[in-house]
Amino acid sequence: MRDKLRKWREDNCRNSEQIVDVGEELISEHASKLGDDIWIIYEQVMIAALDCSRDDLALTCLQELRKQFPDSHRVKRLTGMRLEALERYDDANKHYDAILQEDPTNTAVRKRKISILRAQGKSTEAIRELNEYLEQFVGDQEAWHELSELYINEHDYGKAAFCLEELMMTNPHNHLYCEQYAEVKYTQGGMENLELARKYFAQALRLNNRNMRALFGLYMSASHIAASPKVSAKVKKDNIKYAAWAAAQINRAYKLAGRGNKDNKCSIKAVEEMLESMQITMS
Amino acid sequence: MGEVELSCLAYVKMYLHSCLFPRCSVNGLLLSSGPAGGAVCVTDCVPLLHSHLPLAPITQLALTQVDVWCSQTQQRIVGYYQANACASDSSPTPCALKIADKIAEQFENAVLLMLDGSKMSPDYRVPPIVMYERKDSKWVLKDKHTIMLRQWEETRAIASQMLESGDHAMLVDFDGHLDDITKDWTNQTLNAKIAELSSPANGTI
Repeated sequence: MRDKLRKWREDNCRNSEQIVDVGEELISEHASKLGDDIWIIYEQVMIAALDCSRDDLALTCLQELRKQFPDSHRVKRLTGMRLEALERYDDANKHYDAILQEDPTNTAVRKRKISILRAQGKSTEAIRELNEYLEQFVGDQEAWHELSELYINEHDYGKAAFCLEELMMTNPHNHLYCEQYAEVKYTQGGMENLELARKYFAQALRLNNRNMRALFGLYMSASHIAASPKVSAKVKKDNIKYAAWAAAQINRAYKLAGRGNKDNKCSIKAVEEMLESMQITMS
Repeated sequence: MGEVELSCLAYVKMYLHSCLFPRCSVNGLLLSSGPAGGAVCVTDCVPLLHSHLPLAPITQLALTQVDVWCSQTQQRIVGYYQANACASDSSPTPCALKIADKIAEQFENAVLLMLDGSKMSPDYRVPPIVMYERKDSKWVLKDKHTIMLRQWEETRAIASQMLESGDHAMLVDFDGHLDDITKDWTNQTLNAKIAELSSPANGTI
């Protein structure tokens, strides 16, 4: 059980219901055998409990942590998170401000304040605060990703693309960032963006050839370029080739998936027909 | 405008979809296998996304595939549903309006359904939905009296029961299908389970 919790901590999973199930049992029945691990487990279970509205469990964990580490900023942050979960945002903010007075470089607490803005639906303020934060802490990947999500929700695709570019620069092997960037470019529209989208979908596939979103994205961007009346004959021919390659890969992937699996017969048929119908419009 | 009827199957799947991803905005398409004229009968739904709802490629892909599947199974897309991550705000987002507009281009009496997160707790007895219809190129609130949910108490009971027993984990949305294409976004297995729970032989009526 300890190992499960450790793995979830290391992978940063948000499977709060499972953590609460396993953690609660571990704490109530095996606390004595956990040694010093118990403190980090209390923290993990407390956060998961807040996520599942289990304030009873969260409070228990918090009280144990407070007894053991009375002046810890890390534990004070947890107190603030509990206030957030109870939607007592003003109290939470006062609490966080007090911590920041003593320690202005506490990034975790600054990010909690931004999360409060997000929870309250104040996207513009959240974006502004996050931008200010990133000016100081340029290397914070999590923050760049959060900012890209905020921009996407505000339909500010240009700025979302900028954030994803930062992430791609520092994580050149991450196929997910490539693919998300391509999706943003595709959404922005226009021939130039479509071509960029196609290139980045292709790059995502080079990094991970099982990324179905990238495969479909490549197919769709190439098809749209080929079908446009404004492109040269050579560009059209090239994109038909790319689209045909992508279609073949998609068909292959679905055939493999379909073997011995009755479940997705509907999706296989839908994909086959879709690919056929799009081919007709291209030529 | 006209009457809209929401079936048990459609409601339960929308409910389970939003419960499966409580921290995300989710959306999906409403389908009908009924005849074209008269009241709109929403008989089923297809859960679509739980991430990056405003981005175009996957939404376009999903719309195309669901369209093809509908023509293979004598159904049509009659509406769109969305549940926002922020439970206190159930107003349609710009992307919801855009997708609903697209659907309305093909089907005049299309409906836009928003799930109201603040009314989804067990003590609320009314359906937590807000429906919009298209009037003069704008989406306006639909008159509550034109929205029908037959056997609401039974539907509500089935939804709660399935959530309790963890059946919402069986639901596959389009996002989930793209993560693992062996999973079925038409949710045949889940549909069968819901049908079983709502059949008179089960004694729940």
